[in-house]
Amino acid sequence: MTSFTRQRWAGLLFLIGATAVAWFAHAHWSARLTAWDYFTGWVLFAVMVMLTVFNARKKIPFLPLGTSEGWLQFHIYSGYLTIALLLVHLRFRPPGSGFGITLFVLYAIVTGSGIAGLVLTRVLPRRLTTRGGEVIYEKIPTVRRSLQQQAESLALAAIPGAKSTTIADFYARRLRDYFNGPRDFWLHLAESRRPLSSVMDELNDLRRFLNNDERAALDKIAALVRQKDGLDYHHALQTTLKLWLFVHLPFTYGLMLFTLAHIVIVYAFSGGAK
Amino acid sequence: MPTTPLIVNRPQRWDAAFDPAMTDEDAQRLMFTAPFSQMSEEKFPKRTPLRDILRNDSRIRRFKQGEIIVRHGDYGTSAFLILNGAARVVLKPPLPARMLGRAESKKKNVFRMLSQAWNSWREPESFRLAQLRADVGVDARTGTGEDVHVFLQDLPRVLNQHRTEAMQGGEFFGEIAALSRMPRTSTIFADTDDTELLEVRWQGLRDLMKYDDALQKHIESVYRERALRSYLRAIPIFKHLTKEQENVVVGQTEFATYGDYDWSGDYKKLLKSGGAARPDQEPVVAAEGDYPNGVVFVRAGFARMSQKFGNGQRTLNYLGAGQNFGFREIAHNWRKRDAPVDLQHSLRAIGYAHFIIVPTEVMEKIVLPTVPVRELPELIEPKAEEISSRRDSHAAEKIGTDLMEFLAEHRFFNGTATMLIDLDRCTRCDDCVRACASTHDNNPRFLRHGPSNGRVMVANACMHCADPVCMIGCPTGAIHRESAAGQVVINPLTCIGCSLCANNCPYEAIRMTEIRDTDGAFLVDKSLRPISKATKCDLCVENHGGPACERACPHGALTRMNMGDLDTFAKWLKR
Repeated sequence: MTSFTRQRWAGLLFLIGATAVAWFAHAHWSARLTAWDYFTGWVLFAVMVMLTVFNARKKIPFLPLGTSEGWLQFHIYSGYLTIALLLVHLRFRPPGSGFGITLFVLYAIVTGSGIAGLVLTRVLPRRLTTRGGEVIYEKIPTVRRSLQQQAESLALAAIPGAKSTTIADFYARRLRDYFNGPRDFWLHLAESRRPLSSVMDELNDLRRFLNNDERAALDKIAALVRQKDGLDYHHALQTTLKLWLFVHLPFTYGLMLFTLAHIVIVYAFSGGAK
Repeated sequence: MPTTPLIVNRPQRWDAAFDPAMTDEDAQRLMFTAPFSQMSEEKFPKRTPLRDILRNDSRIRRFKQGEIIVRHGDYGTSAFLILNGAARVVLKPPLPARMLGRAESKKKNVFRMLSQAWNSWREPESFRLAQLRADVGVDARTGTGEDVHVFLQDLPRVLNQHRTEAMQGGEFFGEIAALSRMPRTSTIFADTDDTELLEVRWQGLRDLMKYDDALQKHIESVYRERALRSYLRAIPIFKHLTKEQENVVVGQTEFATYGDYDWSGDYKKLLKSGGAARPDQEPVVAAEGDYPNGVVFVRAGFARMSQKFGNGQRTLNYLGAGQNFGFREIAHNWRKRDAPVDLQHSLRAIGYAHFIIVPTEVMEKIVLPTVPVRELPELIEPKAEEISSRRDSHAAEKIGTDLMEFLAEHRFFNGTATMLIDLDRCTRCDDCVRACASTHDNNPRFLRHGPSNGRVMVANACMHCADPVCMIGCPTGAIHRESAAGQVVINPLTCIGCSLCANNCPYEAIRMTEIRDTDGAFLVDKSLRPISKATKCDLCVENHGGPACERACPHGALTRMNMGDLDTFAKWLKR
């Protein structure tokens, strides 16, 4: 058994065990204990605090608070556990009030984005590795500018020798925009080869109108197009790997604020736990 | 396009003399000084005459009383001969780290750890002026040029509290560390104000030994007594020897060095030209198919064990300090005299390597009869070159031939804490970089980028090499091995920003960083040049819990790996 498999089994066993305990407790005590809802609420809130603290742990890496990997495993499986805890807290009924529905929707977004993030972080890195051409995200604009300058120089340099502006015209019409910024975000995310093949088809069409020197220049431009395509691919996937957190984190803090308000309201209108 | 080749002078060995200031008069003077005056000039070849060796491979250095000549634990490329005056070697106890310009090894306490949360300066590598002006335990003075002289502070106390021994004119020291690329074993400082030393770089020392029997015998006898005996005792197959047998083995063991001591420079040029280190360009220590002349022990550096494959060489393993080559074949031939085998693989020195060779005859007559059968390696099956190669290539099979070649080509096996990133799991989130920056004055000490093979990326971070080229020549001893676990660290307070370590590092893992004061302003010297310090990964030696980068990775994609431990590496790959 590999260490990752062992890790997964440990997480699953924890999840199954904790869910079973929650279920058992609900079956036996939910009707008997008057403060049952308060109890399940506080347990759920405690777990949610632990989940939120994961991000804070990242800000203090110099403290020996265990590995981030361990924290993430706890985050994942405790995150799943909150589904069971919420159901128990709601007594398997849909939320009744507008505030409750808002809380529920926030929770659904946070959990959904978390699960989506988990899937993305497991799938996209492999795709990036398979594609190759590793590049640091912050350096993508610099690399793109360099490719753009090279392509532009090649297009312009081809004019005097060929006494023709065929390549330069094509560059101005089709490639200047292509090299100017990230392109085909969604197609790259969907693993489509269309962004590259459409440009390459047009480049091939152009070849028949070029002399040998121009064809050599076009081959070099085609190589730059391939590099740009790889860059766009990395941009699309790496952006996605970063963007999902921009949904997950703000909604988490929103959820926590609404949860705090929920606690205050519950205590304000009930006179405290019975 | 021009067709006429550009004609330039072929590079010669002495194009760059050790010290351009050395004159013919200096060389002439040395020719009349012992031991050179007793050397026979006729024994030296015309291409490398004794006088030219002295002129180009040595330099005369003058030291004042208390000035440090070599430091305990430093790596050096040269040996010293006392010409005038005297030097003093510190025996026991060794000088404290602080006196040698090194940082005291100390973990942060709870308060210091917590205070990092609010105490970090906004700008990277910021220092309080008081920090920079404080007594750092080292008295470094700049000489007439760029040279730096480092003096021991409070010399009378050193003499009072440490057992020392004087060394007089005519004595050699530092030769073993220079030839074997091992750390210096003692600190030596000048004992008089007019101490004059001849520093001979290793190439010169090697030639002097080669053509002068007396010097060779002297250095070898020193080597055998001081280093070899204890080294052999640590190897299991020699532990059954009696005292007399051990004396014979020590007396007949040979030494050999291969490759270029300054390999890092050539290697960097090779990388810049887009090339890669190839086995056929490396010096052969022992060739596949040859009779095994002796068991080759790697004392320092690295060697590539390879096997002929097609028209090239396939790397099966790389051997580092303490590993041997040829023992299996010799043990087989000793047991199966009727079915002897040749060497099954080739051994090539990578960069620079120093070997100890115990001749086959000594192994067969003295060593092997004392080794219990259970400790002998398996016999090599007849007609089974393929089978044996399969068994011996086990190391390559663990991680895959492709990855093995990649590691050998880039010389990554040098690392004892190489930063590996599993690209299949890395989400490119840069949590590792941020963690490193938070732990190190907002200056991340590595780049999350580097050469990759398949899903394994070797990030641009200090690998804490087994053969730390960066440590050769640091004038103040600021870069040193941390005593506890051998991490290579830099003491920022004694680093003078000379860039020697950064230029030496073959992996470009040391960066010169301009330092600032606590307000964020760059610090400059009197000539308004910014003051730089060498910065690199220190494996978070001061922090608890291990390297922050490794602990910060949520996906278990990053690890620090000892590349000498292929089993752990293979396990990590197959998680």
